[in-house]
Amino acid sequence: MRITLDKFFTVLTGLAVMCMIAALFVILGPMIYRGLGAIFFRGTVEFRKMQLAEFEHGNIEKIKQEDIQTKQARQAVYNIIDKFRNGIDAEKLTDQAKQIDRTFGKELQLQDTERERYQELRGLSRDIRDKLIEAFSSTDIEQIKKHIDFVLRYESDERFRKTSAAQYFKLAHEFAQASEKIDFEKKDLYAGELNELEDIIVKLLGPDPNGNKPVLAQKRYGAARWDQAQKLMHELFWKEQWIEQENSKTLVRIETSRAEQFAGTELEPLFAYIKDNSKKMLNPQITFYWRYFLDDSTPGHYFGGIGPEILGTLFLTLLSMVFVIPFGVISAAYLTECSSEGPVIRVIRMCINTLAGVPSIVFGLFGMAFFVLFFIPFFGGPSQGCILAGSLTLAVLTLPVMIRSSEEAIRTVPQTYKEASLALGASKFVTFVKVTLPAALPGILTGIILSLSRVAGETAPILFTAGIAIGPVPDSIFQKTRTLSYGSWDMAVSDKLAAEVPHNQYGMVVTLVLLILCLNALAIMLRSRVFKKLKGH
Amino acid sequence: MKSITVKILITFALLVSTNVIAQEKLHIEGSTTVGPVADGFAEAFKSMYPDTAITVNKSGSGTGATALIDGRCDIATMSRFMKDTEFKDAVAKGVFPVAHAIAMDGICVVVHPSNPINALTTEQVRDIYIGKITNWKQLGGPDTQIVVISRDTESGTYDTFETFIMKSQKMASNVEYVNSNPQMFARVQSTSGAVGYVGFGFVKTGVKALTVNGVKPSVQTIISGQYSLSRPLYMFTNGYPKLGSMTHKFVTFHLTEKGQEVIEDKGFVALTNY
Amino acid sequence: MDNIKSEKILKPAVVFEQPLVLTFTQDVKGFLFRYIGSFLLFLFTFTSVFAVLLIFLFVTLEAFPFLTKFGITDFLTSTAWYPEAKDGAEFGAMAIIVGSIYVTAISLVFSVPVGVLASVFLSDIISFKIRGIVKPIIEILAAIPSVAYGFFAVLILAPWLQKNLGFSSGTNALNSSLLLSIMALPTIISVAEDSISASGRELREASYALGATRFETMFKVVIPAAHSGIIAGIVLGMMRAIGETMVVWMASGNAAQIPNPWWDLSQSIRTMTASIAGEMGETAKGSDHYRALFMIGLLLLVMTLMLNLVSEYFLTRARKSLGKV
Repeated sequence: MRITLDKFFTVLTGLAVMCMIAALFVILGPMIYRGLGAIFFRGTVEFRKMQLAEFEHGNIEKIKQEDIQTKQARQAVYNIIDKFRNGIDAEKLTDQAKQIDRTFGKELQLQDTERERYQELRGLSRDIRDKLIEAFSSTDIEQIKKHIDFVLRYESDERFRKTSAAQYFKLAHEFAQASEKIDFEKKDLYAGELNELEDIIVKLLGPDPNGNKPVLAQKRYGAARWDQAQKLMHELFWKEQWIEQENSKTLVRIETSRAEQFAGTELEPLFAYIKDNSKKMLNPQITFYWRYFLDDSTPGHYFGGIGPEILGTLFLTLLSMVFVIPFGVISAAYLTECSSEGPVIRVIRMCINTLAGVPSIVFGLFGMAFFVLFFIPFFGGPSQGCILAGSLTLAVLTLPVMIRSSEEAIRTVPQTYKEASLALGASKFVTFVKVTLPAALPGILTGIILSLSRVAGETAPILFTAGIAIGPVPDSIFQKTRTLSYGSWDMAVSDKLAAEVPHNQYGMVVTLVLLILCLNALAIMLRSRVFKKLKGH
Repeated sequence: MKSITVKILITFALLVSTNVIAQEKLHIEGSTTVGPVADGFAEAFKSMYPDTAITVNKSGSGTGATALIDGRCDIATMSRFMKDTEFKDAVAKGVFPVAHAIAMDGICVVVHPSNPINALTTEQVRDIYIGKITNWKQLGGPDTQIVVISRDTESGTYDTFETFIMKSQKMASNVEYVNSNPQMFARVQSTSGAVGYVGFGFVKTGVKALTVNGVKPSVQTIISGQYSLSRPLYMFTNGYPKLGSMTHKFVTFHLTEKGQEVIEDKGFVALTNY
Repeated sequence: MDNIKSEKILKPAVVFEQPLVLTFTQDVKGFLFRYIGSFLLFLFTFTSVFAVLLIFLFVTLEAFPFLTKFGITDFLTSTAWYPEAKDGAEFGAMAIIVGSIYVTAISLVFSVPVGVLASVFLSDIISFKIRGIVKPIIEILAAIPSVAYGFFAVLILAPWLQKNLGFSSGTNALNSSLLLSIMALPTIISVAEDSISASGRELREASYALGATRFETMFKVVIPAAHSGIIAGIVLGMMRAIGETMVVWMASGNAAQIPNPWWDLSQSIRTMTASIAGEMGETAKGSDHYRALFMIGLLLLVMTLMLNLVSEYFLTRARKSLGKV
């Protein structure tokens, strides 16, 4: 019975640890998987163009060549859409017709046409225009034919030849051709669907090369990553719909093929073309984007890396460690070595524990009220949030962890060590520095690991004291900085585009974890070395 | 260990050395909702005025107002108008806040796309939020419990929702609260019985915006005022900024074509568009 | 080289030829060094007390106008939390206070047994080498930023709970307390394990020599001996859980209600920290709502202080009953 209990106990303890390791993998696994996507992925030509234009990385000649090649492959897509659009987009066609009329009028004025002739031609032009517009907005094929025939009667007219009015007839021909293939009852439907399609194509291939250059970098390029492109292509081929089924009242998600929707129209070949030529249009290549850790980013972290964030996190974390380690260790030394358990010590210890329970957001507000508005200006610094204020706030935040763990560490140093040292005539101070402290180092390092992790991951205290979402890289500790924790929080709460770049969001979190691990690895290595030394004695 | 230290130092040096010391500084602090617009403006300004160092912090409208009053920022972005206490504080400190409405944001009632309900009236929405209607069955939907989600009570989004829908009635105690539009989107997207409200820019695949009182939220209906659930977004400055100063350029950027493009790209409705 | 070394060793610490009497100056010097030194140390230690006092002062000053305006009774006994109502804002924080305690308690239910068992496993069951691998792995849990935990709660755990446990809402008491316990575990284990492995080898050997199994040794000898460290770890972990903001804000659902029935973990609740974090940034400085949030902060401070008092009380009692270990 006792033995069974014992075995059971052993298994239970093992299970506890397994549980935690499992939790670690469950939490970190998906994060790392998605985060790695920020560095390893299949980058398309858009990615390389973006890198070149925004961050000046990459081989200009090669990218130019690639750009030309992909542009050729893409031209067909634009051609197909233009052709189809000519059949259905009444608004655009109307605008075109009006434009032709206007230019024709100007042309006549410039040629100093006689007044009578001018008025006659203008009148004719207006007639043609109106008939065309009527044709464009009509849904009756007979009507359209009638109008188009009316317009084309003037095609051979001498007076229109070699003027801008000749474009009327081109327009009419194109429209006539396109309208033969269109089911006119679906015209409005097509127009809506086409807009949707064009939005997706802009996201996939980037904005219209002949249009204006968008202001925001995220709109200037198409799908920079092959996985994004694939998702967009899926969206392009399949339309998501929620339909009602008879039994349950909850709607069910189905996907309908867009190719079928546009069957028989000018647009139909588009889908097959994109399917077959997607690689030619985007040229995906396996990319190892190591510059992710160095590059700056476009605002909102849509493109680019997290260099400034890493730097800021390091600055803040290390600086706060500089403050917290001496304070923590000295406080712990005092609590264990120089004082007997009395009411004062109890009060101090209680205060330390209370400090550990203060929510981080209160630390943030406190840091703003005390360090930003009072402490730093008091010593002549700027009354602005800055790295110094942030790290001081973080130091206060993590002080209790540091003190408690160092205290435990110092307390566990065997009394015999100290007694031996004291018996050899060493003073209390020397004993502490040369005997107790080295022996307690593993525990102190544990404390450092814990507080380091806490500091680097905190958002709320930085929010009010040192953090910014956008800004230049700081060049002194009196400036604000971006940090990884603030950055990932910012991505989580503010911009709608963040959801489109989950790899950047997770990349930042994973980098933060990795950064802390690197810093921790140092401490862990030290700890095990010291531990071994201690065990050896 | 030494080599690691050296590497870190080199990285520091590399990154610091590439930094161009900027001439003019512009610090913007405030709302998480308006923040993305400020981000976008900052991005546009980066290429237009490369000498200006623009920093943006998103810690909340209240913090933004406080920072403006304390003189810690040049522009406070706010998703609500300044409150009387804030104005009093400001005037007491010699700061005279000037509001610049830069864009409109429509607030859309959203449900999971599997929900067959497409339209509700204000009364029905209110009944859901005060706890009178607790099951979609009561509205002709499937037999699932309604998970009611609201934005936190201090957000401008909540404020607008309260004014137009709740009409000073109090929300039931089982209403869940989330602190941002993306959070709301994530919750509604993943919960089949959920109802919530998000800014217009967050109505996209994954959630379904409901027609409220027979008006479907769209750019046209918002700008014409037909869709009543909308509110302006603000930037506040201390006094009207000096003409030609960076601050002035920033708060009037929404009047330019580029500024309006940014606002639309960030999912808001540009003010002078129509 | 050899010479120097031997010289060092030869120099005795105490010279017996001289009488062991200090001169007056030596005496004064020693006295001053001792007291000034210890006073300096005390000052250093006092910074944390100073920090707590400052935070207390800061929070109290901001919260005080609330107390004079609204009184404390409604704040503590009403569950109506409508801080932004246009007419007649109500600041009843009872549901929020209960929520905080509720989540922390449940997270302790998960984390204490797991934490203690895991630290026993690390210190006494596996070999030193594996321990060197496993312990850092557990410490990684502490390295994950709370924002990341929040992501996990909302995007992965909440839908999973909805799908597999049939909860109507996945952001609830269970979700947040699970995550809080995971976050508190590394703290608990790190501190507890250090103290368990430090409580001497002799103890264990004596117990094993008497024929006790490992289970008995652990529960009757080692853990009582190491209780101070274990409790310190639990207290620190608990503080972490109470003070944690981002995770509960994202994972608990933030509905200001007391779960009914009380054991129903599938209901959304709201904690004090989440209320502060969610509403502080947006609210106008100096408004009633702002003050009410600071009042919550003050209450939180007082509560942690009380908790400390309680744990301190138990510690001293345990110490007394055990004698000094």
